[in-house]
Amino acid sequence: MAERQAKLLPSAHQAPLPLQQLILTEPPDAEAVPMDVLFVGGGPAGLAGAIALARMVKADNEAGGDLGDVQIGVLEKAGALGEHSLSGSAVNPIAFRTLFPELKDKDFPFRRPVDAERVYFLTESRAIRMPTPPTMQNHGNQIASICEIVRWLGEKAEGLGVNIFTGFPAASLFTEGKRVIGVRTTPSGLARSGDPGSGYAPPTDITAQITVLAEGTRGTLSQAYLEWQKVTSQNPQIFALGVKEIWETIKPLDAVVHTLGWPLPRDCFGGSFMYPLSRNLIALGVVVGLDYKRTSDDVHEMLQRMKSHPLFRDLLESGEMLEWGAKTIPEGGYYAIPERRHGDGLMIVGDSAGFVEVASLKGIHYAMQSGMFAARAAFDALKRKDTSSASLKTYDEMVNGSFIAKDLYRRRNMRLAFQESNFYFAGFKAGLMTVTGGALPGGRIHSHDDAEVPREVTPSQPFVPDGKLTFSKLDAVFKSGNATRDDIPSHLIVGPDITPEVAEMYTHMCPAGVYERDGERLIVSPANCVDCKATDVLGPRWTPREGGSGPKYRQM
Amino acid sequence: MANIFAFVETRGTDVRKVGLEAVTAARMFADKSGGGEVHALLLGPPGIAAKASQIAQYGADSVIVVEHAGLANYNPEVATATAADRIKSGGYRAAIFSTSAQGRDLAPRVAARLGVSVVTDVLSFEIDGESIVVRHPMNIGKVIATVAIAAKPAVIAMRPNVIAPAQNAKPGKVENAQPAIDPASARVKVIETRTGGGGKLDLAEAPVVIAGGRGLKAAENFKLVEDLAAAFGNAAVGATRAVTDDGWRPHSDQIGQTGRLVSPELYIAVGISGAVQHLAGMRTSKTIVAVNRDKDAPIFKVADYGIVGDVFEVIPALTEAVREAKKHH
Amino acid sequence: MKIAVCVKRVPDMDVRFRIGADNVSVDEGGLKFDINDFDAWAVEAALQLKDKNPGSEVTVISLGPDVVQETIRKALSMGADRGIQLKADKVPFDGLVIAKALAAELKTGGYDLILFGKMAPDSSAGVVGAMSAELLGLPCVAAISSLEIANGKGTAKRELEGAQEIVEFPLPAVLTIDEGLNAARLPSLKGIMAAKKKPLEVKPAQLSEPQLSIRKLELPPERKAGRVVGEGAAAVPELVRLLQTEAKVL
Repeated sequence: MAERQAKLLPSAHQAPLPLQQLILTEPPDAEAVPMDVLFVGGGPAGLAGAIALARMVKADNEAGGDLGDVQIGVLEKAGALGEHSLSGSAVNPIAFRTLFPELKDKDFPFRRPVDAERVYFLTESRAIRMPTPPTMQNHGNQIASICEIVRWLGEKAEGLGVNIFTGFPAASLFTEGKRVIGVRTTPSGLARSGDPGSGYAPPTDITAQITVLAEGTRGTLSQAYLEWQKVTSQNPQIFALGVKEIWETIKPLDAVVHTLGWPLPRDCFGGSFMYPLSRNLIALGVVVGLDYKRTSDDVHEMLQRMKSHPLFRDLLESGEMLEWGAKTIPEGGYYAIPERRHGDGLMIVGDSAGFVEVASLKGIHYAMQSGMFAARAAFDALKRKDTSSASLKTYDEMVNGSFIAKDLYRRRNMRLAFQESNFYFAGFKAGLMTVTGGALPGGRIHSHDDAEVPREVTPSQPFVPDGKLTFSKLDAVFKSGNATRDDIPSHLIVGPDITPEVAEMYTHMCPAGVYERDGERLIVSPANCVDCKATDVLGPRWTPREGGSGPKYRQM
Repeated sequence: MANIFAFVETRGTDVRKVGLEAVTAARMFADKSGGGEVHALLLGPPGIAAKASQIAQYGADSVIVVEHAGLANYNPEVATATAADRIKSGGYRAAIFSTSAQGRDLAPRVAARLGVSVVTDVLSFEIDGESIVVRHPMNIGKVIATVAIAAKPAVIAMRPNVIAPAQNAKPGKVENAQPAIDPASARVKVIETRTGGGGKLDLAEAPVVIAGGRGLKAAENFKLVEDLAAAFGNAAVGATRAVTDDGWRPHSDQIGQTGRLVSPELYIAVGISGAVQHLAGMRTSKTIVAVNRDKDAPIFKVADYGIVGDVFEVIPALTEAVREAKKHH
Repeated sequence: MKIAVCVKRVPDMDVRFRIGADNVSVDEGGLKFDINDFDAWAVEAALQLKDKNPGSEVTVISLGPDVVQETIRKALSMGADRGIQLKADKVPFDGLVIAKALAAELKTGGYDLILFGKMAPDSSAGVVGAMSAELLGLPCVAAISSLEIANGKGTAKRELEGAQEIVEFPLPAVLTIDEGLNAARLPSLKGIMAAKKKPLEVKPAQLSEPQLSIRKLELPPERKAGRVVGEGAAAVPELVRLLQTEAKVL
């Protein structure tokens, strides 16, 4: 009988990033579709960038400029815009106002302004009201559904002539020396064996003068580029996993609510959020750092258990869950941002660059603003007819001089404070940082790659969902709108030495039930995957698959 | 007092059950509107005339028999022209068809030829003064529409199996007539009607439907379902889209939004998870039984009775139990 | 060959619908729309004929407000050549009104073949194709699951209950397409870009007075909650007892 492990190190069982398939040195097909600027990812960053660029080109042409017809493309892996977008969210409207100066706040795709806010510390039976930490104050922000934001931005982009290609995931970067010259998309219609099945459509090659990677959290091509070009950051990027549900309720919710404490274990970083989208619609979820300490820690189960707390149960009882979803969030902050986010023919924007401020749970306005800066840099580069790294450097300069860098710098150690110690002591430290604008305690806190954080091997806790308030992962995936074909080939690269303990850990790590342990074996059901990327951080590596696979979020 | 027209669907020299449903519906209609006459149109090859008395049993005051050698197979243009001509000249208040495969082709064409609208897949009808009001499912059965028909005649195609053919003997005076156009002149020619494996009960007509899904694991395991159907004696076998897509069963067996709509007395779902598009095809069944090994399968939410278990154990046991129960009838 | 395909923009059916405040329409808030699956198969059938008969032209027609242009563009991105929008504020409920408007347009086109999907899931009526054919005085074969065209004639198969009809017909003709005929091709990236440049004509729809009107829409009654009778073969006797005594179906 195999010796039982006491501690498990996720990185020991992970495969490396498959660079040879992500970075191509062969030339694109002769039939490649030529684009001028290609945004990889149709989220807020990519769409804001495409819109900003289209406007600049239009204005320039109208003023007699010589750019002419600039082909702008946006590649999106989901079958329709918004279907893979998930966020809380309480949005800072600043980027919308900057991008659309001619519109008023009431024209933007927001649900309602944040008015009341409450923070609670939960125990199993009680909810203790806490003062709202300044970092979490949402005054002036708007509650929104990121799906609605993305669909709204998409319409604006199409109206400006941007080519939006949904159902076309980018699988690899084409390169010439150090320069990125385009993208190859995934094929579709492969049989489980990986050979072409009926309905096979081959990959499409696209060339671009400038490729902007806007892939969102844990972007595959972004990681590949940075590794290939050996671009580092002071700290490794670290992640949290958010699991979220949308409920239709009979009782209304009158405030934005955040909680800390139960049911998260004391040494887990994270908490919950609950936002009113409308009188009878609420969004709620739990966000937990992926440096959790036990193999049996299961974020989906934490959310399910949390709903039985009177604070939530009273609202949800007699309501109905409409949607479920999951996504990771980059939490490394300032020190985890790559040292450069540009190269020859390339820029990286949004979550892929790590522009997320975790203390306030904000990323959308940073994503959009960074997309807009990239658009500016791209426009100038096209005018100069110089798309080299030196020319695109202005993108980094703009970001560094903006509120993106300033905000992230101010909160630079916040999350990291929680990595090393007891949550409450860490909370005190975090409070100190807030009050002193990050000056105290000083210095950079070194952080560890999530996969390098060892976990205690612990037995699974029993979890019996009732199907009305709490749900199994299988039910949950159904509610994400996931209708991926059952016989899709696996897009997940399993690493070495998958012991039963590792398999068991994977079953808890994945919120969508992709992994199951059957005795000694790991069973993988890739069709369940909702592209949250937790697997890429701690387990089998995620690679792009057939377009339109995965969830179909509607109001997340 | 208004006369009602009924189209009696046939296949060769057989009258189909949906044809009798149309006559029964027309009879109900006539009785509701003050007791008018029911005139039924019966088209077919030589030998069909003998079925006129059966039609009378179900409430036809007169049966218009069009017997012609050229009508061995369905002839859409003859049926359309003949029905339309008779309906126009007869001044009927309503014309009842069935939403069978044939009816879906015939009813709209007759209506268009008459310059009136048509409502298909009708669940029920009422007379409201000058209007006829019918109920008809929309959005794959997720919404029920109550529709007022202002047209005269009102052309209605009933959903199969919603009206049970009822004996209500009437004179059934036979009138022999000619097809409105020469069958040989029709442009669309049905050159063959191929029946699938003689004597199989059709899904839309069977009082019991047993459907198999992916849970059966392989095409040959459908034998389990067929054995259970045989034990019932009056059951038809259906399938889910997953299974017909994989080629285990023909497309015509698929029950669901894009396939067959069924409404039997008893529906048994074997190894079916209960995808929304399947439920749309059977949710109006009177009693639904589900057998699936996954207790969280959505099918259990619509089933009146469920058994959580291995279909390979449960279905044979059920087959034996049904055989026993039928023995003691 | 000149082929016309009539397409409809329909909402995704995988949702819980809400009846609008007026009680006679479905609340469209939050609904996602796409081309009717049956119509997509009809477009595919037309494109396959075009592939076999180079020089053919496929025209896509849709009746409705300006949003239907998205649906026409989708068909264009699959490979259709030109589109026509018959503009109307809403898609009428009465299939005869739609058929009349389409027939008025189709009459002028000199088409060898006119294709429809067998039915649209929202109206769940399945009448427009057959009615249009009748109004045009053209032969019609409805709900076909296989098709061959050669030398100005066609052969098709129709699924009946427990049987199949093999049908021959001359061109020009109207066909309505059922599931199983083909699988609709996905638009290629090039196809999506090319679609933007293909002609899309907008004309007013000629709408007649409807003879059908919706009195009300309602959600079907909830089925009474059922129950799991037991586990495994051991539950069979109880199930049979319930079917005999309670449900009275055995």
